[in-house]
Amino acid sequence: MIDRQDVIRMARLARLELSEAEIDQYQQDLAGFVSSGRKLQQVDVSAVEGTSHAVVVTHELRKDEVAESLPQDLVLSTGPDVSDGFFRVPRIVEEQE
Amino acid sequence: MTNFDTVIGLEIHVALLTESKFLCSCKTSFGAPPNSQCCPVCLGLPGTLPLINEKAVEYGAKAGLALGCEIHYFSRFDRKNYFYPDLPKAYQITQDAFPLCTNGFLEYYVDDQLFRTEITRIHLEEEAGKLIHSGQSIVDSEYSLVDYNRAGIPLIEIVTAPDIHHPKQARLFLEQLRLLMRYIGVSDTKMEEGSLRCDANISLKPKGSSVLGTKVEIKNLNSFRALERALEYEELRQSQVLSGGGVVRQESRTWDERAGKTMSMRSKGDAPDYRIFPEPDLPPLNLDPVWVELIAANVPELPLARLRRLERDYGLSRYDATFLVNYPEFCELFFQVAERGLGYEDVVNFLMGDYARLAREKGHLSAERISELLTLVDEGTISQGQAKEVLSSLFSSGLSPREIVQERGLEVVDDPGRLEPVIREVLAANPDLVRRLQDGETKLYSFFVGQVMRATQGKADPEVVHKLLRGELGK
Repeated sequence: MIDRQDVIRMARLARLELSEAEIDQYQQDLAGFVSSGRKLQQVDVSAVEGTSHAVVVTHELRKDEVAESLPQDLVLSTGPDVSDGFFRVPRIVEEQE
Repeated sequence: MTNFDTVIGLEIHVALLTESKFLCSCKTSFGAPPNSQCCPVCLGLPGTLPLINEKAVEYGAKAGLALGCEIHYFSRFDRKNYFYPDLPKAYQITQDAFPLCTNGFLEYYVDDQLFRTEITRIHLEEEAGKLIHSGQSIVDSEYSLVDYNRAGIPLIEIVTAPDIHHPKQARLFLEQLRLLMRYIGVSDTKMEEGSLRCDANISLKPKGSSVLGTKVEIKNLNSFRALERALEYEELRQSQVLSGGGVVRQESRTWDERAGKTMSMRSKGDAPDYRIFPEPDLPPLNLDPVWVELIAANVPELPLARLRRLERDYGLSRYDATFLVNYPEFCELFFQVAERGLGYEDVVNFLMGDYARLAREKGHLSAERISELLTLVDEGTISQGQAKEVLSSLFSSGLSPREIVQERGLEVVDDPGRLEPVIREVLAANPDLVRRLQDGETKLYSFFVGQVMRATQGKADPEVVHKLLRGELGK
C-alpha cells in the first residue's frame, strides 16, 4: 500500500511541492500502479530473460571526437546566480553543531 | 590501537584520458575558463540524449584487464538520483547492477612484503562538476561556486574489498594503482587536478572478531599523504570513541588538511535514497569478445612484472628496480643503455644521480649520448668528476660526449712523466709548507694534492698524484 507519508517522502526526494489535494490524488494513482505491479508479479517469467531496456537496440558508440561547446555566457544564463564565470549556490551542508 | 583491528576499503575514481566527455562531445581539458566546456547534454537540459564514447568503454575494460578482472560483455547503465549542486541533471549515469568489470586484484609491496587486495568491481560513470567552496572547507562555506567543465568526463570507479588493514597499506595500494593506471595510459591520475580521487571507508572491530564495525566514509582526500593521515586520525578517533564505551556513527566525514582532522559532513535534508533504476536513455553495452581480446593484447607489461624482471634478469636491487619502475621514462632509457653492454648497476646509478635532477629540468638525453658518456668513464678516458662536467654541458650543447671531452681538453692525466714536473713545481713554490708538513702538520697534505689538481685543471689521476707526492715528500 501507498500511504500519505510515502507520497510526501517521494515528493520531497523529487523536490516537488504538492498541495493536500494533490497528495490525495497521487496516493490513489500510485496505489493503482502498485496493484498493477502486483498483478504482473503473478505471471510466471521463470523462462524469460530479464529486460534492461524498453526498446531492443544494440549499443551505438560514438568516436572520441570533440565538438564545439556552448558559449560561456549562454551556459551561465541558465542559472539564477552567477559569479566570475561560475554558478553560485547556497550552503551545501549543515553547520557543525 | 592494540584492542582493535582496522578494516579499510577504498573507492577510487579515475578520470579517463579521453579527448571528449563520456556522453557528449565537449572537451575534457583541464584548466579552461569555468563553464566553457559545456553543452545541453552535460548540463542536463531537457530533451537531450547521451551517446557513449567508445574510448571510455575501451579504457574501462583495459583497466579491468590490467587488474585481473572478469570483463562482462553485457553491462548496463543505471540512473542514480540525488540533488547536489555539482550534478546538473540531478542524477548520475553510472553502472549499478551490471558493472563492466568484477573480481580483480592488485598486488603491491609494503616494506618488502607482498600484499594482495581484491578489487570487487570497476564500473563506468560520469564525473560531477567541480565545487569551489567560499570557506576553508565545505563545512564552513556560506556559498560555493560551480564549474561544470568537469561534469560528464568519463570515470571509472574502482571498489576494493575491505581487506586493507593499515593507513600506510592504503597509501601504498593507491600509489601502486596510480602507477598501473599510468602504465596502461588510461588516465593522467593527477591527484592535485582531481583526475585521481579516493574515498576511504574505515571501521574498527575488536581484535580477532569477524563482525565488522560501523564504517565511516572519508572524503576530500586530495593526496596520498592526506589518505594516510586521515585514516590514522580516524583510526585513533574511532578507537577512542569505542574504548570510551561510545558508538561510532555511520556517516560521511571530510578531511580538513589544515586542521589535520576529519569532520562530520551531515548533508541537509534526508538520508540518501538514490532510487536507482535502469537508465532509459542508454541501451546496455554488448561488447564484442574479439574487441575485448584486442584491448587485452594492448595491455603492456605492468609495474610488478617489470619489477620482477629487473630484479631477476638484470640483478638489480629492490631499491634500484623500484626507482626504474616508478619512473617509466628512466626505465626505457635503462633498457636502451643496458643493451649496449654497460654494467647494469652503473647505468642505474648514473640515471638516479645528477642525471635525474638535470633530466627533470631539461628533458631526457638520448640513450646513445648516455652510453657514450658512460663508456668514456668505463674505459678510463675521463674521471667521474669530469663526467659530471660533460653531463651538464650535454644538456645545453649539441655536441656528443666525446666531442665535449676533446673540445675542453678533458682527459685523465695519469702519465707520471707529465705529473712529476708539476708536483716538483708545486713543492718548490711552497718550501715553508713542505717543512711544516714534514714536521708533522699532516693536514697540509691535502693542500698539495689540491694544488696539483688545480695546476692540471683537475685532469690528474688522484691515485697517481698520491703515489708521486708521497714519493717526493719522503725524499
